[in-house]
Amino acid sequence: MTTMEPIIRIENVRKTFGDLVVLEDLTLDVETGKTTVIMGPSGVGKSVFLKLLVGLLQPDAGQVWVTGVDVAQARERELRKVRMRLGMLFQDGALFDSMTVGDNVAFPLRRHTKMKPPEIQQVVAERLQRVGLPGIEHKMPGELSGGMRRRVGLARAIVLDPEIVLFDEPTSGLDPITSDQIDNLIAEMKVALGITFVVISHDIVGSFRIADRIGMLYNGRLIAFGTPDEVRHSADPTLRRFLGRNLALPPLESLPEGS
Amino acid sequence: MTRILRPIEALGEFGYFVWDCLQYTVRYGVRWDRVMLETYRVGVRAFPILMVMTVFVGSNVAIQGYTAFSTLGAGNMVGMFVSMAGIREICPLLAGVMVAAKTGTEMTAQLAVMRTREQIDALEVMAVNPYAELVTPGFLAICIALPLLTMIGLVVSLASAWLVAVGQLGVSPGEYNDYVWSNITTIDLVNAMVKALVFGMLIATISGFFGFFSERGAKGIGRATNRAVVSMCVTCICADYLLTAAFYG
Repeated sequence: MTTMEPIIRIENVRKTFGDLVVLEDLTLDVETGKTTVIMGPSGVGKSVFLKLLVGLLQPDAGQVWVTGVDVAQARERELRKVRMRLGMLFQDGALFDSMTVGDNVAFPLRRHTKMKPPEIQQVVAERLQRVGLPGIEHKMPGELSGGMRRRVGLARAIVLDPEIVLFDEPTSGLDPITSDQIDNLIAEMKVALGITFVVISHDIVGSFRIADRIGMLYNGRLIAFGTPDEVRHSADPTLRRFLGRNLALPPLESLPEGS
Repeated sequence: MTRILRPIEALGEFGYFVWDCLQYTVRYGVRWDRVMLETYRVGVRAFPILMVMTVFVGSNVAIQGYTAFSTLGAGNMVGMFVSMAGIREICPLLAGVMVAAKTGTEMTAQLAVMRTREQIDALEVMAVNPYAELVTPGFLAICIALPLLTMIGLVVSLASAWLVAVGQLGVSPGEYNDYVWSNITTIDLVNAMVKALVFGMLIATISGFFGFFSERGAKGIGRATNRAVVSMCVTCICADYLLTAAFYG
């Protein structure tokens, strides 16, 4: 795969739970080194989309290519290899409660590398420094605020230097200041580390700040996908209703025909 | 129809879960440091309560046995009753129920919380197999600790029965000891260990299964724990009957 090719390609994916169609004929490409945000109202299948990318769920139809491997068809060994190349920040950090912050961040290093304890300690300290939480290795997850838990989760997600980091609602339930801090962190890391980010969110303002590409899921379908500017200038009524609550949109009559 | 099929479906899912645990344990190996730590925890946590229970159960069995045998004029044979009941039935079952209530429910609740908080998903995304990481150490720990707890429980129940029989009921210590030792055979000890091992396997797999596939949220965690403890107790008692019938029937 060359760097010009998308690092993630989703082709005609359909996913149902019983009679409920969650995703229908979903097709999209995620470009290498870019931040792609998928927005949409609650319960529209955003988390399902993310779980399909990491192979936690299987699509009923279609292909999910991640770093050149179809994760829907991949054997366990291939899937493990793909997963080693990505990190994921879960909604509440998904930190292990019985471990300290340091042990949480060190966990992937201890499982997948042959680093010695002092090296691990050094990497953990560096990652915590990067997410703005230096010197909290000894704390337990229960002692942290929601924003801190997510930042520690992010430190753990990037500890193996992944090519892709996935975010599941990184700012959901956080106050505006903490949400801004998380958004800034994502923007800084994209510049500093050159990682491909895929973010699912319903935080409109934050999404437009960090995204290179924005997609909008609605009723299981991707009703818009493009640069923030293209999406802002879309004439789709659902999209305008969704965005209009938090974002100043150009008047409908000012948009060119076919937007 | 769905109501009838659901238990069969659950049994199939349980079978798959056990198979997955086995294959991933073979594929990813056993982390013995975790197993040792878990074994220590299982043993230490169940030990004090098991001691209290076996002391009183041993004492009760001594009184009941003495009362029953006295009507036949053979109250001094209480040692035989205590040893046979203790080694063949009471101690393996008591230790099993104790570990189910203490360690099994804890394992279920812990896994269910991890499922709810997406920690099991996080393990998978970090390319760490959750079966080998979370279930296997607990499974092996229970299988190691339960036979040991059974043996300790047997010693304690025999000692407490000795105190009651000799100190309270006036049985001669020599006769008590003779009847105890002449009725404990190596086969009985092996059978008790086998029973404890089977109970351990049932407790570990059932508690793991209900925790691993718990529904999310507080209600899901509560339901998983409740179902696990009921299933563990019922299956252990059923297995106890089958094993008793196979060994002594």
